Amino acid sequence: MARIIVVTSGKGGVGKTTSSAAIGLGLALKGHKVVLIDFDIGLRNLDLIMGCERRVVYDFVNVINGEATLNQALIKDKRVSSLSILPASQTRDKDALNKENVGKVLDDLGKLYDFIICDSPAGIEAGAMMALYYADEAIVTTNPEVSSVRDSDRILGMLASRSRRAELGLEPIKEHLLLTRYCPKRVAEGEMLSVEDVEDILSIPLLGVIPESQSVLKASNAGEPVILDTDSDAGQAYQDVIDRLLGETIEFRFLLAEKKGIFSRMFGG
Amino acid sequence: MADASIEFKGSSFTLSVLHLKTSVLADIRADLTHKVAQAPDFFYRVPVVVNVEKINDSINYQGIKTLIEEFDFTFVGFTGVIAKAQRQLIRDLGYSFVNTAKANTATKAKMSKEAVVAKTESVAVTTQRHLYTDKIHRGPVRSGQQVYAKEQNLVIIGSVSAGAEVIADGNIHVYGSLRGRAIAGATGHHSAQIYCQNLQAELVSINGNYWLSESMEQHWDSPVYIHLTDNELTSSKLI
Ligand SMILES: Nc1ncnc2c1ncn2[C@@H]1O[C@H](COP(=O)(O)OP(=O)(O)O)[C@@H](O)[C@H]1O
Ligand SMILES: [Mg+2]
Repeated sequence: MARIIVVTSGKGGVGKTTSSAAIGLGLALKGHKVVLIDFDIGLRNLDLIMGCERRVVYDFVNVINGEATLNQALIKDKRVSSLSILPASQTRDKDALNKENVGKVLDDLGKLYDFIICDSPAGIEAGAMMALYYADEAIVTTNPEVSSVRDSDRILGMLASRSRRAELGLEPIKEHLLLTRYCPKRVAEGEMLSVEDVEDILSIPLLGVIPESQSVLKASNAGEPVILDTDSDAGQAYQDVIDRLLGETIEFRFLLAEKKGIFSRMFGG
Repeated sequence: MADASIEFKGSSFTLSVLHLKTSVLADIRADLTHKVAQAPDFFYRVPVVVNVEKINDSINYQGIKTLIEEFDFTFVGFTGVIAKAQRQLIRDLGYSFVNTAKANTATKAKMSKEAVVAKTESVAVTTQRHLYTDKIHRGPVRSGQQVYAKEQNLVIIGSVSAGAEVIADGNIHVYGSLRGRAIAGATGHHSAQIYCQNLQAELVSINGNYWLSESMEQHWDSPVYIHLTDNELTSSKLI
């Protein structure tokens, strides 16, 4: 059975698409069959971050409407053959998706893939609800600031009440906290919430802490998900996230202001 | 400046609302006599709004006002969910029609309305025993969610997030942090209490008496219980 994972947040611009791309590619690099779905109908960002925007012919909405088959719409990643992308439509609006048809598409994909990663639009309206409805797990992407935490809290409420699992009384969606754009220096100066603050408010298990990093912007512009930048702190932090998703226990890093050198890290500094 | 000496500002107050179930003045007088006799000091000069929505036949507004003032209440105006024409009639007669506070949720409206009804009854109520059972909610109450324990106490095993609301006709226990709103004794229960392991609430209310965060400074960020003494909220440390 495929694991359906929604990357969600409530608030926009917190790093959902960046994280979806990094996590999708990271899981595929580990040999898993992964499909990334862009639920942000009307914006179409994921294919840009993945660097496949010039190869989009059909999209998610075409498949929903029966205008194209899944095979026609899925874009195979050029770097890793076990990864595919189902792009969003740029010309339709958010109401183009409906529960029943999305369910059918997910069912079909579930037969072909190990992981289905759903990149959610911002907000708590229909589009975001659609992205989370069928999820087995949720990566709640949060920036260390009050408004983002509040929105994540809101989304956690939705996961617990408006998802398919909630409606059918099944085991609840497994929740993961992903803190992104974390800046230890600003935390130390009291300008940002700390990891502990956010954990305390949201009280869900921490999946990862991604530092604020120049490498993310570079990666986006190049269409190369940041996880490929193995020298960068953000790339390494996403790699840790992959390992944790696959069941390993990995210590958290990049939490402190002074960057430790690679040697002190290796030799238990 | 023209308005250097005065300033108009909107503000919310807890008012007592007298709900009329009949327009027969003699019956109202009899019941009021009985009620006021229980606690004359309590009712003296209390501002009262009269809710007339339950009365179907024609209403003697002047008669009602005179009657209210006979009992030394301070008459404020009429209220209720009534037709526009009836509201206009009230205004044409020279009385105020008082709107209940525009609440964004139905419960809030209910809270302010019912809480004040309860207030006029609170003297009697304190001697009553409430044998409420518990409604137990496991897990956090998230922003945007609301949990209501109707005719029950409410036990939350988890935190109440900012932007969430927990309401009970009885007591509220939060085994976690209370960051949202907690409304106990929602339909009139003077001895209702609110307990929490960590107080960081946006609002706490018991029997219509409420505090906003700014009033909670004394026990902010600590385990407390909140209760009413006379008609004032009081907080005490739990441990
Ligand atoms: N860890 C990070 N460090 C620096 N910038 C980041 C980081 N994560 C995301 N960003 C930037 O934040 C912006 C929003 O990211 P995006 O993934 O599109 O968010 P969302 O999908 O939640 O709207 C982008 O400009 C992206 O480059
Ligand atoms: Mg996005």
